[in-house]
Amino acid sequence: MVPFLGHGIGLRTKHFPELLEQGRRADWFEVITENFLHVGGRPRAVLEAVRADRPVVLHGVSLSIGSVDPLNEEYLRDVRELADAVEPAWVSDHLCWGTFGRHNAHDLLPMPFTEEALSHVVSRVVEVQERLGRRILLENVSSYLSYAASTISEWDFLAEVARRADCLILLDVNNVYVSATNHGFDALAFLHGIPQDRVAQMHLAGHQDLGTHLLDTHDAPVPDPVWALYRDAVRRFGRVSTLVEWDDRIPPLDEVLAEAEKARSLASGVLERAA
Amino acid sequence: MTLYELQALLHGRITGIVQDRECELRQQLLPRPSLPALERVEIYEKMYLHRLVHAVAEDVPHTAALLGDESFLDLVREYLRDHPSRSPDIGQVGRHFGAWLRGRDGFRVDLPDLAVLERVRSEARSAPDAPVAGADELHSLPPDALPGTRFVFSPSLRVLRLHHDVRALWDALDANRNELPIPARRPTTLAVWRQEFKVFHTALSGSEADALEVAREGGTLEDVCAACAGEPEPAEAAFRTVLSWFADGWVAAVTKPGPRGTN
Repeated sequence: MVPFLGHGIGLRTKHFPELLEQGRRADWFEVITENFLHVGGRPRAVLEAVRADRPVVLHGVSLSIGSVDPLNEEYLRDVRELADAVEPAWVSDHLCWGTFGRHNAHDLLPMPFTEEALSHVVSRVVEVQERLGRRILLENVSSYLSYAASTISEWDFLAEVARRADCLILLDVNNVYVSATNHGFDALAFLHGIPQDRVAQMHLAGHQDLGTHLLDTHDAPVPDPVWALYRDAVRRFGRVSTLVEWDDRIPPLDEVLAEAEKARSLASGVLERAA
Repeated sequence: MTLYELQALLHGRITGIVQDRECELRQQLLPRPSLPALERVEIYEKMYLHRLVHAVAEDVPHTAALLGDESFLDLVREYLRDHPSRSPDIGQVGRHFGAWLRGRDGFRVDLPDLAVLERVRSEARSAPDAPVAGADELHSLPPDALPGTRFVFSPSLRVLRLHHDVRALWDALDANRNELPIPARRPTTLAVWRQEFKVFHTALSGSEADALEVAREGGTLEDVCAACAGEPEPAEAAFRTVLSWFADGWVAAVTKPGPRGTN
């Protein structure tokens, strides 16, 4: 299993001055992999500065593990090269697809949960893990559509991918809540469908309620229903490295760090009561 | 429908390649009372455009501001049809935007050159790091090694050949001035580079541009001198030019000539 890193935040450009010049830190940092491929200058300097005294993980958005396109060899080489240089605690991406015909939509499109898709994803995860020389974490995505062809629940699909490919799971609690609301499933059923020994990281974030659906925007504090679901997740999965994502309308660093502290406090409370 | 067919249909719809086949798409998706199937796809269509327009705007903020939100969005939508993203890095999607604008009109004539400059400044900002060589490395070489010496340049260094001199326009926009200079139609060669975390650009004279081009293509100091042959004092001009490369931090390394026959 992977180490417990505590409660971290995403490394974002807006916070570079506070991180580089004032030496402010969270327990650990998550880095968007694609933003650091072949990159120097200030972004690289900040990455190296935080890496010098804090764990870092690489979180990709373009692996497109569920795409029918061939795996992008050049991209995998680049990710491996970055991972070799940064030595992240782990490497993660999403259970989704985004490319077709080498045309990247730069989105995390949901998979149909079918046997065909399951076999396809499993074989690709195995291949990616071989290329990267490490197990990867796959994250459940927020979704706004579902397919008539799906015959498996999302949680069973994710659990089966993890079991067959022997990969780990990045459980995005906000995404569970958003998708459960958008598709009318029980968020707790999702949590209970995920094997306890596979969850190596959790994500927390904010979203927007657009009336007809929830939109996963990462532009607001974590809302109360997501905190409540996080408590349930800690109850089920125990002490798991947790990260607060804030990618749009990003507030000052203190505010994001406060969200990570809140996560720490909630998790501690749940674990103390359980003990 | 196979996984391949489903992804082709949905991806085509989201990225604007497939305009019809609505019945087929509807059949593949589950409707819910809160939102019909096709409106669910529309969420992804809107996010696709929003995300990529934002990515291009990050590269060319002054160009986007001059065009205004609506025109910029329309142009990027059209641009994406000609240049769909082929890179896993969304930051690469706008790399052809300035050159693509050259084939369009309806805006000030120097706007494409401004967009090219902005994009290249953006590339320089995050280009891979490299060591900076000092002129002392050149001075330390034995005199007979100088003619065959070559230069390795910083990965952040870029050379642009523009149709307009957009430096004054860029300065005005960067200083947030309301009054903008009229377009200056004259071929202009600019060097763009980064020192530490700061990005610079400067104009090059004809001989400076030629000398730099020769050196970047692997030419020797002797070749650089030949490129300055049109100057009144060619040797002095070449040396001055080369020293300015060191002073500006463009040179990452100096390579001495190899043994006879291997140069």
